[in-house]
This record gives sequence, C-alpha cells and structure tokens, in this order.
Amino acid sequence: MIELHDIVVKFGEFTALNNINVHVKEGEFFTFLGPSGCGKTTTLRTITGFIRPESGIVSMRGRDITRVPIEERSIGIVFQSYALFPSMTVRDNIAFGLKIKKLKRPEIERKVNAIAQKVELSQEQLGKAVSQLSGGQQQRVAIARALVTEPAVICMDEPLSNLDAKLRVQLRNELKKMQKDFGITTIYVTHDQEEALTLSDRIAVFNNGYIEQTGTPNEVYNHSATEFVCNFIGDINRLESGIVAELIARGVPIASEDHHFLRLERLRLNQPPMDGELVLDGVIESREYYGLYIKYYLRAGAQVLKAIEKNDGVNIYEPGQSVKLGILAKDLMSYAPQA
Amino acid sequence: MQNTAKPSWLKPALLAKVFGIAFFVYLFFGFMLLPCLNTLTSIFRQTDASGNADPLAVIRFFFAGNMPRFVWNSLKLALFLVVTVNVVGVSIVLLTEYFDIKGAKILRLGYMTTLIYSGVALVTGYQFLYDNDGILTTMMLTYFPNLDPNWFSGFNAVLFTMTFACTSNHALFLRNAIRGIDYNTVEAARNLGAKPLRALWKVVFPTLIPTMFSLTVMTFITGLCAMSAPTLLGYDSINPEIVRLAGSSVADESFPQARAALLSIILALFTIVLLTVLSAYERKGHYLSVSKTKARLVKQKIDNPVANVLAHIYAYVLFIVYMTPVVMIVVFAFQNYPAIRMKTLDFSNWTLLNFFGQEDYSYMTSRGSYRTREGAISGLFSNDATLGGIRTSFLLSAAAAAIACVIVVVACNYIFRNRGKKRSVALEYSLLFPWLLPTILICYSYRTYFNSNDVWYVLGNNLYFMDNVRILIIIAYTVVKLPFALRMIKASFYAIDEELEDAARNLGASQLRTFLRVKLPIILPSVLAVFALNFNALFTEYDMGATFASSYGVTYAMVIQSMCLDEGLYGFNVNASGRRCASTVFIMLVSGLILYLVYGVGARDLGDRLALRDRRRKRWQRLTGKLKE
Repeated sequence: MIELHDIVVKFGEFTALNNINVHVKEGEFFTFLGPSGCGKTTTLRTITGFIRPESGIVSMRGRDITRVPIEERSIGIVFQSYALFPSMTVRDNIAFGLKIKKLKRPEIERKVNAIAQKVELSQEQLGKAVSQLSGGQQQRVAIARALVTEPAVICMDEPLSNLDAKLRVQLRNELKKMQKDFGITTIYVTHDQEEALTLSDRIAVFNNGYIEQTGTPNEVYNHSATEFVCNFIGDINRLESGIVAELIARGVPIASEDHHFLRLERLRLNQPPMDGELVLDGVIESREYYGLYIKYYLRAGAQVLKAIEKNDGVNIYEPGQSVKLGILAKDLMSYAPQA
Repeated sequence: MQNTAKPSWLKPALLAKVFGIAFFVYLFFGFMLLPCLNTLTSIFRQTDASGNADPLAVIRFFFAGNMPRFVWNSLKLALFLVVTVNVVGVSIVLLTEYFDIKGAKILRLGYMTTLIYSGVALVTGYQFLYDNDGILTTMMLTYFPNLDPNWFSGFNAVLFTMTFACTSNHALFLRNAIRGIDYNTVEAARNLGAKPLRALWKVVFPTLIPTMFSLTVMTFITGLCAMSAPTLLGYDSINPEIVRLAGSSVADESFPQARAALLSIILALFTIVLLTVLSAYERKGHYLSVSKTKARLVKQKIDNPVANVLAHIYAYVLFIVYMTPVVMIVVFAFQNYPAIRMKTLDFSNWTLLNFFGQEDYSYMTSRGSYRTREGAISGLFSNDATLGGIRTSFLLSAAAAAIACVIVVVACNYIFRNRGKKRSVALEYSLLFPWLLPTILICYSYRTYFNSNDVWYVLGNNLYFMDNVRILIIIAYTVVKLPFALRMIKASFYAIDEELEDAARNLGASQLRTFLRVKLPIILPSVLAVFALNFNALFTEYDMGATFASSYGVTYAMVIQSMCLDEGLYGFNVNASGRRCASTVFIMLVSGLILYLVYGVGARDLGDRLALRDRRRKRWQRLTGKLKE
C-alpha cells in the first residue's frame, strides 16, 4: 500500500530521518511511535508531501509519489489541532475539498450528508461553527473532512493529544471503530505508548531518526527488539549486577555484561515457586495505589524493584512487610550494551 | 526541503512577485527614503549672499538665533509630560483596577473618555472651558477674583491639556498589564508579611516596569512632537515652528525651509534614539509570570480610613477633571447661539441648530445700524465649510486607511510565508521605517520634495499643486499608518495555526484560494479593526493637515481649528463655538461607534455570530407565536 524506501530527510546539517523503511499494508492501522523529536511527524509529512526527502522513494500501491504534489496524493490528513477552518461552518469545512474538486452542488450535499451520518454528526451540527462544537465533535469533523474526498490513506498526527484523559480514552475507542467501519488504511502518529498499543495493528518505534522496531503491539511489548524499545514501551525494571550474578549462579544462560530487563507484571510476589525460578527476599518500601492495580517498590538486596499486582482488595501489602520475589528466566529481556 | 513542485500558474505568480517587489521598492524609495533624504540634504545646500555654497549656514544660524528655544521648549514639555502623564495614568489605573474604590466602573468610564475625545477636538474643548473667557474660567473668577484670567495659555495650558489627553495608552495597556498579574503573587507577599503598599511596590510594580517604560518613551515622543495643543494654545515648540517656517518665504526671513528641515531632522534624531533605546530594552526581556494557574487580581482595600478617604477624593477629583469638558461640551452643543456666546447655560432653550439648520444673524455695524446676514448661524451639517472639511477628511482617511490595510495584508502574507528569510525581514523593516520618523518630517518632506515638476517617478506631476495635494495627503496618511497596521496585522497572521494552511493545501486549495478562503477570513476582524482605528485617527488628524496647509486639502481638524478664530465680529465666523461643540459630539459619536464595531461586533467569531442569529431567530419565533395567540 504505502512504502518508504531508504528515506533520508535533512534540515540543514541535521539529519531528521535516516534510511527509513516502512511498508504499510492495505486497510492496516499503522502507528509511528516515539518520543518528541524522533522523526515520526517528519515521516508522516514526507508521506503526505509537505516535506520532500533528500533521498529515497515514497510509493503508494506501487506508484512512486515522491514528487507528486500534496493535493494529488489521495491522502487525507487529520491534524494535531484538527486545523478546522474557524471562519466556516462544519458543513463548509467538510465540503471544502469537494468544492475544490469542482463537484456539483447536489453531489457535494449528498457526500457531506453521507459522511456526516457515518461519523454521527447531526444536520444541526453541520450548520454550526466549529468553535461551537466539543473536542470530540471537532475530531469527527476533522475525520469527516479528511474522508469525504475518499482518499486511499488517512494520516493522523497526534489527534488526541489536546484532549483530557477521559475524553482521550473515549475517542480512542471511537477512532478504532470508525477505522474498522471505513476499512481505510490509517497511519497514526503518537508519543503515547498506551494509545499505540490499543489502537494499532502494527507499530513502528522511532528513535533519533531511525526505526528501532516494527511489529505488532505484542511483539513490540513482549519481544522488544532493542533496549530503547524495551525502555520506551511500558514501565520496566533493569536488573543490577547482584541479581544478575545470582541468576547466572542458578545456571540461567545470560551474559553478565548484557543489560537485563524485567516487566513489572512479571515480577512474582509471594507466588508458589516454579522450576528454575530465582526467589529473593524483599521488603515493601512503598506503594502507589492506582485503583485497578497497585504498584509496589521493593527492596531486594542493593536494588529497588517495581512490581504491580492486581488490586483484589484483600492481598494488599503494607510498607515494611517482607515478601518473596520470583524471577523466571523466560521473562527476562536481555540486550548487549551499545557503544 | 519543503515541497517546491511547480504549480501550473507559475507565470502569473512570477509576474505578481515581480510586480510586488517593484511596488514595495517604489514605495520605500519613492515615498519614504528620497523625500526625507532631500530634506536632510537641503540643510546643507544653502548659499551665501554672493551665491557661494555655504553648507553650514543653517547650523550657524541655529546656534546664533532663537531656534534652540523651540528645541528646549519641546524637550521641557516632553520631560514634564513624562512625569504628569505617568502620575495621572498610573493613578487612574490603580484607582480602578488595583484599589477598592467605590464606583470604580463609573470612574473607569470617565477616565477612558479620552479614547473617544482626543486630539484637536479635546484641545478646542478645553479652550472652550478654560481660556480667558471660557465657561470655567469665568465661573472661577467669580469665586477667585485674583485668578489670572489668562492662566490657561502657553506652557501651563499645553501641559494641563496633554496630561489628560495622553493617558489613553495607560488606560489601555497598563490596565491590561495589571490585569495580567497573578494575584497569588500578591497573596504570597502578604502572607510573608508585606503590607499592601509594600506588596504593590515590590511585587506589582516590577511586573509593570516594561509597560511603564514603553509608555514613558511613547509619552516623551508625543510631547516632543506635540502639534495641536501648542499651536492652538500658543506654545513655541518645534512642530508649530516647522509649520510656520514651511509656509514662510525667504523674503520674510533667512532660509526658512532649511531651518524647518533642520528642526524636523532634530526631531527625527530624538525619535530614533528613543525608539532604539525602547527596542533594546524590549529585547532584554521582561519579568514573565511563571504561573500555570493564574489567579485573578482581587482589589485591595485601603485599610487606613484617612488614606481611603483621600484616595476616594483624589479619584473623584480626577473624574471631575476628565468629565467636566465632556459634559459641558455635550450640554453646550444643544444650547442656542446667545447661550453659547454668553457661555451661560439656558436650560429652557434646547436646540439642534448646532447640528442641523440655519438661522439669520443680526448685528450692529460700526455705523450703528443693524444688518442681518441670512442663515449665518449655521449648524455642523448645514455649514458648507464644515461639511466640506468632514467630506474631505472622510474620503482621504477612508482611502488611506484602506490602502494601508491592503498593502500591509499583502506584505504580511509574503512575510508570513517567507518568515526567517532576509527578503521578508527587509520588507518588514521598510514598512516599519516611517515609525522612526516624526510625522511632521514626512509631511514636510512631501510638501517640499513633491512641490516640483522634476520628480520623474510621479511622472513629473507637482503633487503639491491644486487638487493633487489630496493625493499627496492620502499617500502621507497611508505611509504614516503603515507601521501600526503592520504590527497589528502581522500579529494576527502569526496567530493563524500553520496547520490550517497545510490542511487547505492537502485538500487541493491553491495559494490564492488558501489566502482568500482560509487566512483572510481569520485575519479580517483584525484588518477591519486596523482600518477603523486608522480611519478614526486620521478623520480628526491635525498635524498632517496643518503641515500641508493647502486650501485644496482642508481637513476636518483644520476646520475645527478655524472655529477657534474670532467669532461673530461683523458677522464673521458666526456660531463657530456652537459648531465646535457639535463637532466634538459628532467626533465622540463616530469614535465611539468605531470602537464598538471594532471591539464589540468585530470581536465576535463565527460561533458567536451564529449563536446570536439563533437567539434572535428564537426570540422572533416566540414573539410571532405570541402575536398569533
């Protein structure tokens, strides 16, 4: 569907994208994930045509579109700010692209009404100014405006970042539903790992202008390809030399010079021991209450480890309480240190 | 790196670009730089009696004659104004925004009357009240017989008038600055033991210093370049002298034009130095609030009862000083001719004659016989001269304000799209250039430079000849208003979300369409506001009209000035005071209307307008529903 081959983008001396290769499949929800300044938005703007790469090829359905003007690429965009035209009504905003395509008025009316129905915007809302709508409604208008011209791909640049936490979760679900309903190939940019994991079919994790890993949410989370991905996605414990030495002493085949990580939910508290499990004595130092789960900070020898436990309302440990910590070799993620 | 794919309309775009560059080069060199350079060099192009070049003649004359007196007088006025305007300006803001003074809303309205009542109208209004036979002077003489009836003349009168006329900027900008203060910082200071005055001095004032500094510099420049007050109230400062010299001839005195040029260049040097200081200060940065959740300022009660009473007395005395001229002028605008002539209110006889209609005027001649001049007592809109002045000012101001807006919108669009590039910086500075020059220098330069058939780039037309002077005035008005328009409209361009332009491009809109359909509607309220504010300022503008001093371009302010001349003697200038009062009321109405349109109607976005329409429709439906029942 959309392919990026060896894309390099430079801003003066600064290399923003370094040999980026991506293949987005038809109908896929594909996310560019990474911290600020890692190159994800630059990649999106290269696909949409706002930035021309120094080298490399952008192709869509096998056709090279690297030098095709923005408006001829058949790519709809939902901007971070939604970029709704404040001087136009909702109807005029949605119809803007159709008018430029010089469609006849009844055709425009029909298409606007149809897309409005699909994104659940009422006729009354169509007559309103965009400033009269809520954040969620504005997002629907932005999506409708991007979709009404029937693009082959829709690109979304952090469309949920300006919303409060509750609305963000609500709209995230709506967004996913809409994407499935329309069946349109979607490229999504975010720095929010939770958003990426819940929405995406596949994720590309960016760092400093490179792609560190491309994979499904499960692959990226449970089988992080690099130390950066492992650290960036979710919370994690890095095991220090003392625990690593004990693991090696137990015959776990890991190299002492590597960096070893363990996800919080994989640290087993007061569980019946399993084969090959390293069991350590720990003391609860403090806890953070999150409602659905509880996060504990535990001291085990010289290291403080983090663990999360489902909040069942019964087995809640108090600070100072002694616990047994279990670590299974299969749960470790190990990476050779980088120069 | 940005996409530079060639659009199909490359050629028209190239033509537009070439035309645009040519136009701005023409504007800058032809109507900013060359006329002013001509003024500068004219100082050094003098000859002695035997016809030999004597480049330093004017300089020598300057130091030998009485010219430094004008410079000193202007400096004196500027220095005094800095003190008095800041004292009054800071007072009115603190009294209405910081301290808990009863009736603050009414007080604020009174203090802000200078927004709609300023310039030549205000000066003539003050004259009407305070000059030697003014209403208030006459009234005060009955209580204080030893009072000098001419107290309101010269320096005192100018300082008094300008002190109250120049607090508009304080009322707007200092008020905004004080409203922007995070009240939590005041509470923190109080919590740490600071008394209210100490909190004011140590916490509030430091955050106001940048605004105060800007206001002080602007006040100093206003004082230095003062024109209408010194002219009408009789004070020998630079600007009135430049106008006098510009209209003088070598037969009357030594090289008057070159002396006028020297004075205007001195004025320009002061202005450039002050604006450079201001700019350097602004670049140093300010105290910025680091608060993420700003608390709204709560008015401070003055705990000491004596101080509280004194503050209230001070507030209401200021209110009376601000309001008395306004109230008196409005009241007298509806009085008949005898009442105005005698400056006594006649509450039994109200009339609209000062606005509309005519009456015959009878007077005794020097031979003792009575004569009647038919229709000599005429109102504002039935007096040909006044109506002519209004019409001229309306047309010239509207044309100049509109042209300035068009030029600046086109320039800002270019600057916005090429931000950071040298050519856009050059364009921006060229449009800000007139800010460095006093208005009088630009007008004086135009008057002398274009009063010739030798200026090739205006096709050899003498622009100071007969009707052409109106074109010259429009150009001068436009050039003078470009910097203000640029500052305001540029700010609104930079407030446009860049993603809107990207969105329009993504949806296939051309640059022209993006500008017309997306950007222009967003900036339009600001553009209209700039148009209205510029029109407002130009409509009653005095300095430029006086400098051009042409019978083909008699502006409204000049007509108002002529209303201050001897009145009624042998039927001359009859009912000038009545028309003057009516003019002031008319100007206040126009200014008030424009401010309402700009800040009231113009500030509504599409959502507000649709909501208002919806409310009106529902109200109408309810009303018609009730009628049907």
